[in-house]
Amino acid sequence: MAHGTEETIENSDGLIHTNGLTDSEKHPAQEQVAGAKSGQQVTPPQAVAVRTSPARAKVIKFSNVSKKFTLRHERPQSFQDMVVSLFGLRSPSRLGKPMPRPATEKFWALKDVNFGIYQGEAVGIIGENGSGKSTTLKLVSRILDPTSGSVSVRGKVSALLELGTGFHPELTGRENIFLNGSLLGIPRKEMADRYDAIVDFAEMSEFIDTPIKHYSSGMVMRLGFAVAINVDPDILLTDEVLAVGDEAFQRKCLDYIAALRRRGVTIIYVSHALDSVRSLCSRAIWLDHGKLIADGPANDVIDQYLTFENEKHADRIREEYEARRDGTSARYASGASHAAVEIQEPTQEDLEEQGQTGQDSPEQADPETEENVGKFTYDAPGTHWTSGRAEIFDVRFFNADGQDIKTFLTDQPFTIRIYYAAHDRIENPVFGIALYTQNGVHLNGPNTRFSGLEIPYIDGTGHVDYHIDNLPLLAGMYDVTVALTGADIAETLDHQHRAYSFYVQPTPGLAERWGLIHIPAEWSFHPGSGGDGLQAKAETQAQAETPTT
Amino acid sequence: MLARAKRSIDYRDLLYNLVVRDLKVRYKHSVLGFFWSLLNPVLLMLVFTFVFQQLLGSENNPTHPMYHVFFLVALLPWNWCASAVTGTLGSIVNSGYLIKKVYFPREMLPVAVVLANMINFLLALPALVLFMIILRPEGSGSPFGSDCQYACFNAHLLWVPLLILTQTIFLTGLGFFISALNVFFRDTSVLVEVGLSAWFFLTPIIYDARDVVHDLANWMYYLNPMASLVANFREVFYYSDAASPDPFFMLRNLIVCTVLLVGGYLFFMRLSHSFGEEI
Repeated sequence: MAHGTEETIENSDGLIHTNGLTDSEKHPAQEQVAGAKSGQQVTPPQAVAVRTSPARAKVIKFSNVSKKFTLRHERPQSFQDMVVSLFGLRSPSRLGKPMPRPATEKFWALKDVNFGIYQGEAVGIIGENGSGKSTTLKLVSRILDPTSGSVSVRGKVSALLELGTGFHPELTGRENIFLNGSLLGIPRKEMADRYDAIVDFAEMSEFIDTPIKHYSSGMVMRLGFAVAINVDPDILLTDEVLAVGDEAFQRKCLDYIAALRRRGVTIIYVSHALDSVRSLCSRAIWLDHGKLIADGPANDVIDQYLTFENEKHADRIREEYEARRDGTSARYASGASHAAVEIQEPTQEDLEEQGQTGQDSPEQADPETEENVGKFTYDAPGTHWTSGRAEIFDVRFFNADGQDIKTFLTDQPFTIRIYYAAHDRIENPVFGIALYTQNGVHLNGPNTRFSGLEIPYIDGTGHVDYHIDNLPLLAGMYDVTVALTGADIAETLDHQHRAYSFYVQPTPGLAERWGLIHIPAEWSFHPGSGGDGLQAKAETQAQAETPTT
Repeated sequence: MLARAKRSIDYRDLLYNLVVRDLKVRYKHSVLGFFWSLLNPVLLMLVFTFVFQQLLGSENNPTHPMYHVFFLVALLPWNWCASAVTGTLGSIVNSGYLIKKVYFPREMLPVAVVLANMINFLLALPALVLFMIILRPEGSGSPFGSDCQYACFNAHLLWVPLLILTQTIFLTGLGFFISALNVFFRDTSVLVEVGLSAWFFLTPIIYDARDVVHDLANWMYYLNPMASLVANFREVFYYSDAASPDPFFMLRNLIVCTVLLVGGYLFFMRLSHSFGEEI
């Protein structure tokens, strides 16, 4: 490349910059990826496995990087406010009003973050919203400067952050290609050489001399993407921007990113779509509230992150459910119908309040008139409603040995036991369950009637078992919904939505790990004399073509 | 500083493209296109000439024959100044969408505005030359002859490039200050608007710098580089057979403007760190 490659880009004004690169390159032995320091919660990094050789150039280095943002609630943006606040007075417009919140509030978007990225690595940055992912990208692209510490970046950075930014609506596609290229510091001559490739990639030779404002948003994005990747970046920053755009173009973009990776382009990918991080990146960095929690092989870091998130989520659900159950116990006694969270019909809230005050009318008591089953459009996990005639008072999980536990193994026996109590005699009841993943994917929904188990009646207490010989679920946390209805399935007697959870762990010896389920199946391998297959294929093709010719 | 200079060279095409963008966008959708940069000052010139020659009577302006040239030669640099000031003022704030997404040397934005307006100024100069040639009253002689009294073509015109350079330096320096300041205090734009109208009258455009009371004239020149520039432009184009423009005067102005540029650049660079988060 003509320029940019060997230049160590400073802290941005060339006056006060620190350059950590030379230092660390002299001591490759010290090049441990910075990880969990003292006081950080989860596991320290196991990053070294990804490294190939210390000779590879480190292209990005964060040394003790912190970034502080000042949030201004009452921003003195006018001279008047500034002068007034200078004398510690209140602005005349605010006299007599309560003192506003403090004018500024410090917020650390990143705190003491250390890591280095080698040339040709593909690194995913994961974390919750507000964890500092975008700030990291902006520091790498030098849009922001660190408050303390140093950021060294070597090579030309191209960002796929918001495609088409930098395009001027009044200019044509052609003019914008050159303008955008020059924003990235590409000389005009070089840009002219790449012009054809860009137009080809964006598939828009027809419209290239039309002002951008007449383009569809998809076209703008295509052009933006084509420019960003065709400028021959050394480092490519990208986020979920690819989630937009049509399927074919998305695939083309991903292929191209993979090709850039093979060519040795360093890629930093920020995403909430963990599967795409797994497939695109070899390494992942997990940030939480501005701190680096883990840094290492993508699969390991993502697993750690998921475990952490699942635990947090499970805790929250348990708390919510317990709070709800405590709150609803009064309703069990009164026998009033309890309505679940309902979005479409606000009056449901009124019903709920009436239920709480114990004003049960026959109408409300009868779940059928409320058409519960079809009507509940959104149910928060842990939602519970019951008619009061019968209830499911406990659900337990058992393994092959009949132990009452919460954690099970893939491909092993598994039983869900539903304990019921009927206050009336109920004819032909139906018990049902539904399994969900943590993020709400509905896995199945069997019930006793579908399975041909006719229960003549229930009265008093008892239990119903749902038994799986070989649990097909892979490692993860799963939620269970249980339901009890009358002979008419629409008549809900008790329904507890995702109120119970169990965990699945990998069975030792069973290596399968991608996706949700384990399907017992077999692979086989049939080497032939190579030509046979091709010949057969050619013959079938020839046959297929014969009728047309 | 050297690395920075080198990078600016890498980005010289950005400057070119930004200037071209500025010029192209300005004249998109107007039928007359770039002729507006000629027509606008000419129309203003007609208004002022009418006011000062017809309404007030030409006997009030005995010392300014060929008032249209007298006025236009001051108006053109002033227009460059006014549009560059307005343009640079918003150059950073209005490019927030770029600054928050892409890294590039931010100083290119105000510089591009000044240069685009300089090109406009250069494109309008032929109109001035044309008026100097064709709109001559009886008896004022040939504009090329040695008997020419006003609006002549002679060696003084060789000073014009220096004046243009000085004005470019001045406007760039000023642009650095106001564009960066406007990011942090949006009041800057209001102040500058008011300031521009005052500045117009404090600069010898509709009146002659030579008529200014002498003590005050020096203050005007010291405090207002545009006054010096406009006076110089007028000496070169209009009074060209009279007192020659003083080279020391022009040199002093160039130095003042250069100091302003360096100060503005340092100020801009200091503030530009936080553009990304303040916009």
